[in-house]
Amino acid sequence: MATGTRPSELRFLDPAVLARLGTLELKARTVVEGFLSGLHRSPFKGFSVEFAEYRQYMPGDDLSSIDWKVYARSDRYYVKKFEEETNLDCYLLLDVSASMGYGSRGVTKLEYASMLAGSLAFLMQRQRDAVGLTTFDDSIVTMLPPSARPSHLRSLLVTLDRMTLGNQTNVAKPLHQLADGIAKRGLVILISDLIDEPERVVDGLRHFRFRGADVVVFHVMDPAELTFPFTRASRFRDIEGGDELMAVPSVVREQYLGELNGTIDRYRRELGAAGIDYRLLDTSEPLEFALMSYLSTRGKGRK
Amino acid sequence: MISFLSPLFLAGAAAVVIPIAIHLFYKRAEPLIDFAATRYLRRAPVEQSQRRRLRELVLLALRAAALLLLALAFARPYLSQSAVALAAPATMVLVDTSVSMSGPGEFERARAKALQVIADAPIGHSVGVLSFGAGSTSVAPLSQDRGRARAAIANLTPGAGATRYRAALARAAEEFGDRSGRLVVITDLQQTGWDGADQGGVPDRLTVDVEGVEGPTANTALTALRVDGPEAVAIVQNYSSRMVTTEVVFSIDDRRIGASAVSMASGGSAEARLSLEGQASGRLAAAVDDRQGYAADNVRYAVLDTANAPLILAVTASGNPAESFYLDRAVGITEGPGGFRFRAVSGPAFSDLQPPALAEASVIVILGTRGLEQRGRELLAGFIRSGGGVLITAGPDVDPAILKGALNGIMQTSWRDREAVPSEKTLRFAPDDSRHPVFRLFGGVGTLGNVSFSHAALIDVPATADVVARYSDGSAALVEERTAGGRVLIFASDINDRWNDFPLQPAFVPFIHEALRYLTSSRVAKAEYLVGELPGLEGLTPGVTALKNDARSRRVAVNVDPRESDPARMSADDFRAGVSRLNATAQREASTEARDQEDGQRLWQYALLLMVVSLAAEGMLGRRLG
Repeated sequence: MATGTRPSELRFLDPAVLARLGTLELKARTVVEGFLSGLHRSPFKGFSVEFAEYRQYMPGDDLSSIDWKVYARSDRYYVKKFEEETNLDCYLLLDVSASMGYGSRGVTKLEYASMLAGSLAFLMQRQRDAVGLTTFDDSIVTMLPPSARPSHLRSLLVTLDRMTLGNQTNVAKPLHQLADGIAKRGLVILISDLIDEPERVVDGLRHFRFRGADVVVFHVMDPAELTFPFTRASRFRDIEGGDELMAVPSVVREQYLGELNGTIDRYRRELGAAGIDYRLLDTSEPLEFALMSYLSTRGKGRK
Repeated sequence: MISFLSPLFLAGAAAVVIPIAIHLFYKRAEPLIDFAATRYLRRAPVEQSQRRRLRELVLLALRAAALLLLALAFARPYLSQSAVALAAPATMVLVDTSVSMSGPGEFERARAKALQVIADAPIGHSVGVLSFGAGSTSVAPLSQDRGRARAAIANLTPGAGATRYRAALARAAEEFGDRSGRLVVITDLQQTGWDGADQGGVPDRLTVDVEGVEGPTANTALTALRVDGPEAVAIVQNYSSRMVTTEVVFSIDDRRIGASAVSMASGGSAEARLSLEGQASGRLAAAVDDRQGYAADNVRYAVLDTANAPLILAVTASGNPAESFYLDRAVGITEGPGGFRFRAVSGPAFSDLQPPALAEASVIVILGTRGLEQRGRELLAGFIRSGGGVLITAGPDVDPAILKGALNGIMQTSWRDREAVPSEKTLRFAPDDSRHPVFRLFGGVGTLGNVSFSHAALIDVPATADVVARYSDGSAALVEERTAGGRVLIFASDINDRWNDFPLQPAFVPFIHEALRYLTSSRVAKAEYLVGELPGLEGLTPGVTALKNDARSRRVAVNVDPRESDPARMSADDFRAGVSRLNATAQREASTEARDQEDGQRLWQYALLLMVVSLAAEGMLGRRLG
């Protein structure tokens, strides 16, 4: 779980600080450049089609990576290593429902999600992947088809920058619509707070898997949602429905957290079972962790 | 309708703003947090805001109710019958039809004024006519039919009743019911019209106006007629500023039996007497001819009937007439109209008397107690308790022990026999209190001093008795016992010429008469009534009528109220002051009545109980809300 493995390095930017930076492009560049500059390149070798080096075969290596021509010449087993270069289509699905507007510490879930989407798009662009963006609440709001052109990144970031909050969450419906629309096998990244019926969400994501896409789910949650830190008896107004609930936090906290953690566990279990990568993101967490999750998923997909 | 004994306490209900303010403040103090993940809260013990708001409103209502009920309880509520004036306004004419309206031309003027009031009544007002004299009668109930009211006024005539403004106004207020409006009293403003009673009153929604009618300034009236022994005595009053001489004509059953002329100074009165010798019974009437004054008081009636004379029942030892000879003779002298009837019975015969026969007696004279059985003793005690008069002669045939036992609890006086007095030291007796009615006629000792007693009882006078006469040795000769019922006189000797020579003395007959008259005064049946005092039509017409009582019928006279004969008037302002006094009294009465009603209903207790219930419910609900 991402929240449980917060690193101590200070080189990652606090999302709240990041949110105060200028344009989304700047934010994305800041994240990605910082992220890449701190990464050791070696973990990502093998993802690319561009030749990098030979290495002597070790037991356990994929037999398909053995260069048989070298073996013919030298009678030794060598393994070819590549740098990633793809024509992969990546679909960023961003939840813009009203509940995403919640933020307890300077950055809302939507801001965090859009920075994440921007960073991912920026990163993908650098790796020459085609990236598309779809925003939705209870239906699809905007849709940018995947493209690897540099100008596309700009329009994608502008779209992210101009996003406004929508209506109530209904993840399943737009997921099914999008799954039907994907013509080519690709990578689907869902960024949402998943405030919906888990069954319907999982069902929608399975649809992508059925179409052959790799799926990464970033479950964005505010720290206040994860810890329920309130102390005074208060009226809690649902951002989406406007319903008010009167609760004494000390009384309801245990049950709330139990309910929340049960749902998270359920997502993790059911999505894992469906071959979907699930990451829970705390909006107080640096975005780099999310990028790391993405790259590891990307790597697994290429193996 | 709900009313309040202390309505000022209702101001305390303003305290209801306190919980309302707290409610509003409390709402503001509770933070409102926008939250996205309320989905995970719903299964926790939270409360839907709408439901909470409803509960808070219920709480507020309970708190407010508790405060309101507290204020209500302190205001002492009660349910009253009074109603709010809702019906259309009305005008009612109250026409005085009493005797004092029967002067020459007087009632015609009253009628004209009444018709004028009806004509002047505002359009839309209901109109009604009420006559008052001998009782108050609504001759034209309130309605829009003015023709009916005019016809009712045309049919009115002065009667024989007395002016009673209070009763008339109360009746009119009843007729008005819930309406508002105006009462116009057409009257001669007779001074005696405001009687002593203080019930009634006119509600605030009614205004009272008075229209005075000029009446006669002089009046000659017969104000009393009675049978005094063998004579008829009529009293004539002159209500004028000059001397009047007139003739009083007496008649029995409309048959003239004689006349008597009288002269009266201004404002004075005179007695006219006529012997009734040879007349045993009938309707006695006296009349004067007065054409300037009121007509109804020119004649007065009395009943001439020996059957009405009080019955003296003597209880003797054996029933032998000789044992009551002197008493019989003394009483018999006055038999006839205005006298007594006499009957002597033995002790056993008295014991066998039936209650109706005993009730007929006015006085029982105990001359002997021999043969007075237990039942007879009980009859005697019952007779005194019911108001009868008893003369006990402590003679040789009367056993003090028997009477003391019979009248235990009624009479404390006891006596005992004493030695016969030597002839040279015979006792005399004299009144101890010459103002006592028995001795008033004698004007001191008089001829009583000639009576000599050779034997006398020695009376022990208790604190419950008064000595009326004493013997020359200072012992009590005549004692009156104060009882809760009738009167009891104890004479400390006999009255049949055995222990004294009293029956042979001239003082005996007047003494016996005065004593019997004094003893009967509490028992004599009323023989004269004023118009309106008896029920039915007979009670409204002057004359003689039969009055049935306990299967017995007796004749009584019905005469006009002599106060009606006085033509003295008050001013309209005096009349209005009388209405104000009446209303003030009525308000005091209403206040007392309200207090009694409230005391009887005790609604404040229910209000307090409800308040406690409200507070308990508030506490429980509030605790549940947290």
